[in-house]
Amino acid sequence: MENEIHQVIPIQPAPYSRSRQAGEAQTVLDHIVDDFEENPAAMQYFYDLFRQVYCHGDEIPHSGKLVGTTCIQAPEELIYAFGATPVRLCNGSYHYDQRGADFMPAKSCSLVKATLGMLSSDNVIPKIGKPDLVVNPSTCDQKKKSSVMIEGMGYQVYDLEFPNVKESEASRVYWRRSVREFASELRKLTGKRLTRANLKAAMAMTGRAQAAFRALHNFRRQTPSLILGKDAFLVTNAYFFDDISRWTVAVEKLNAELAERQAAGFRAVQSKAPRVVFTGSPPIFPNLKLPLLIEEAGGVVVADETCSANRMLYDMTAVDEWLLNDMVDSLADKYLKPCTCPIFTRNDDRKRRLLDLVDQFKADGVIYQAFSGCQVYEMEYRSVAEEFNKAGIPMLYIETDYSPDDQGQLSTRIEAFLESLKNRKKRRA
Amino acid sequence: MSAKPVLDKVRDVVNEVDFNRFRFWFQLVAFVLFVYGGYLAIDLGSKLPFFSCGYNREGRAGVCYLLPLQHQLGRPLAMLFSMASLAILTGFLTFVLWFIVLNKGWCGFVCPLGTLQDWISALRRRMGIRFSNYTQGQFAQLTKIKFVLLALMILIPLGVGGGIFSRDMSPPFCLICPARMILPMFTGDFSQFTVDFSSKTAIFMTALGISITALFLVGSFVKKRFFCFFCPMSALHYLISKPALLKLKKDGSKCTRCGDCYAVCDMEIKEIADDVKTTDIMTDDCTLCLKCVASCPESGALKATFAGIPIFVSTEAGFIKRMNKGCQHGK
Ligand code: SF4
Ligand code: SF4
Ligand code: SF4
Ligand code: SF4
Ligand code: SF4
Repeated sequence: MENEIHQVIPIQPAPYSRSRQAGEAQTVLDHIVDDFEENPAAMQYFYDLFRQVYCHGDEIPHSGKLVGTTCIQAPEELIYAFGATPVRLCNGSYHYDQRGADFMPAKSCSLVKATLGMLSSDNVIPKIGKPDLVVNPSTCDQKKKSSVMIEGMGYQVYDLEFPNVKESEASRVYWRRSVREFASELRKLTGKRLTRANLKAAMAMTGRAQAAFRALHNFRRQTPSLILGKDAFLVTNAYFFDDISRWTVAVEKLNAELAERQAAGFRAVQSKAPRVVFTGSPPIFPNLKLPLLIEEAGGVVVADETCSANRMLYDMTAVDEWLLNDMVDSLADKYLKPCTCPIFTRNDDRKRRLLDLVDQFKADGVIYQAFSGCQVYEMEYRSVAEEFNKAGIPMLYIETDYSPDDQGQLSTRIEAFLESLKNRKKRRA
Repeated sequence: MSAKPVLDKVRDVVNEVDFNRFRFWFQLVAFVLFVYGGYLAIDLGSKLPFFSCGYNREGRAGVCYLLPLQHQLGRPLAMLFSMASLAILTGFLTFVLWFIVLNKGWCGFVCPLGTLQDWISALRRRMGIRFSNYTQGQFAQLTKIKFVLLALMILIPLGVGGGIFSRDMSPPFCLICPARMILPMFTGDFSQFTVDFSSKTAIFMTALGISITALFLVGSFVKKRFFCFFCPMSALHYLISKPALLKLKKDGSKCTRCGDCYAVCDMEIKEIADDVKTTDIMTDDCTLCLKCVASCPESGALKATFAGIPIFVSTEAGFIKRMNKGCQHGK
């Protein structure tokens, strides 16, 4: 009887929520939420958000034109000023990673492949709509070469020319011009004008978001920690696609809760828990594999130097004269000058930044993630390791990708590393 | 409440101050003092390390050291090596004592000619016109000019004293100094705005003076602190700045090289952002205006110290407050 009914109903595509892709997100999110104790109550906003967007495939509304960005270098203040909405397209899903493998050579960065896989699929998650423009800053080779492929998928692509030497004056001048050209591209796209008032409003908005981020960042200085790194990563990952004002309010709420926790002497981890600074290729939901492994093993990620979190939100813009020109130039400088992305020729700033984070956050060690195939991070490993060696700071280098296959092996290595950090701490005490 | 939290509170208030407004009022008061203080019989001597112009005879509350210096150097050579050399020496020491207190902070906070340039900049800003910058190449060339002017300012009077140059060339820098014409105007004295036809040299020097004053007005409209870049006083400051009490310090380990400090620097000093090794970060062009400290988002990366004690430190909270204000009402 039942069989008969099935025969008359036309075949429907399975709903997203029952797809393997949603399952991937579901597993990770459940792990984040259920396998740790005493999550901050204010994290519920973010848990729900990810559940809706990644597990149920709910739509996210946005206003104005939608501008997809493939990297943090695309000045979002400008996008907001033109009344458009930016969405960061860097993707962390293994499902899309596999899909994207068609476009790239076998040994390529999971992040780039996942982004391509996402853009090439019919059902793009997060479901924010089709970007009216994809801005692809000319950073690493793999991203550069993606431009044409993304265009081939039917998107309008804008190559935002980004210098790969950042110390020189020529690069500053060049980048400032690039940013201006980007602004005129946005003007063409939106038909709106960039004015002092709308840019100021946009900067006030991102400024408030950044202030909230910095406050959260500062709470993580506390020993023992008030909040786990997996939650902090989830918060910054939400910034990729969430409405910026709503996001800011949610982070401010979280900060208020952390302030209470601090006053109450709350500890989210044991006092002996090794404190870790996370650096390298960016963890992006659902690929929070490493942070989760670290915290499962009893460590805590107290700070990071990655472009899915700290680097995306930390650096703030100063303006001397609030006139359009000065604002745009200052913004341009903010995106180029403090950036510690490995695509640049030199990485002195990255090394100094890492040393400072370890020092300021009283970290016991550093974990360096490099996606296999992300050559720039792989190549910088040596110099960063040498720097830490000199400073006597232990570092664990992990090359991995989005596939869950290496979890077992990684967890053994991470446990051993954390154990050695603990012993070291004991010996020092 | 114990002393410590109170001190911390004070420190927070200072570090989070609305810096531009504070500086504006400070400069205004200093301007009034040095341009009109004379009417209240204030006289702080003639060895001041900034342009409190001696030609502003009635209003001045003290005299710019460059005036007596050039006069002293311009005495006949024989005299120069007698008793007068002692006078030169004590004069110089008095000048150094004044200078040591604020270092180049005299430029950033007190010098009437410096303040005037800031006002002209503010006028431009209110008109919505953007400032200009030098290219790096231009900067590298132009930054030397103040030292050349300083050398000439010393050599020409010596030459006058030695009979090589005409007396009409003395005091050489004052003759071309924009302050000589501009500051007396504030007390209603326009007499400096004349060409002296008594000799060819006099015509040339006074005409040059007028052109430079015109250039000063146009220049400071286009470029922030246009004149300070070429100021021989600033060059002299730099040469004796080592023992000064007020200092600009940088902790490179806390600096992200974000360039925010450079973005607000009126003197376009790149080192303030890019140099992460030097701790004493005041360069020859710096006016110690401390705008960079106010706009550095990294707590403790930049600070002003007085006799080694931090008095104004960059803080994240201060930065956020000031930038917020900029986004709301910034001009
Ligand atoms: S690693 Fe660099 S190029 Fe890649 S997304 Fe991050 S900031 Fe952009
Ligand atoms: S003219 Fe210039 S150098 Fe001469 S006393 Fe006046 S301010 Fe000083
Ligand atoms: S550099 Fe500027 S502020 Fe300093 S003495 Fe010269 S004119 Fe005055
Ligand atoms: S503003 Fe502060 S952190 Fe930024 S470059 Fe200047 S000193 Fe460094
Ligand atoms: S370096 Fe700082 S104190 Fe010096 S002139 Fe520039 S902003 Fe002012």
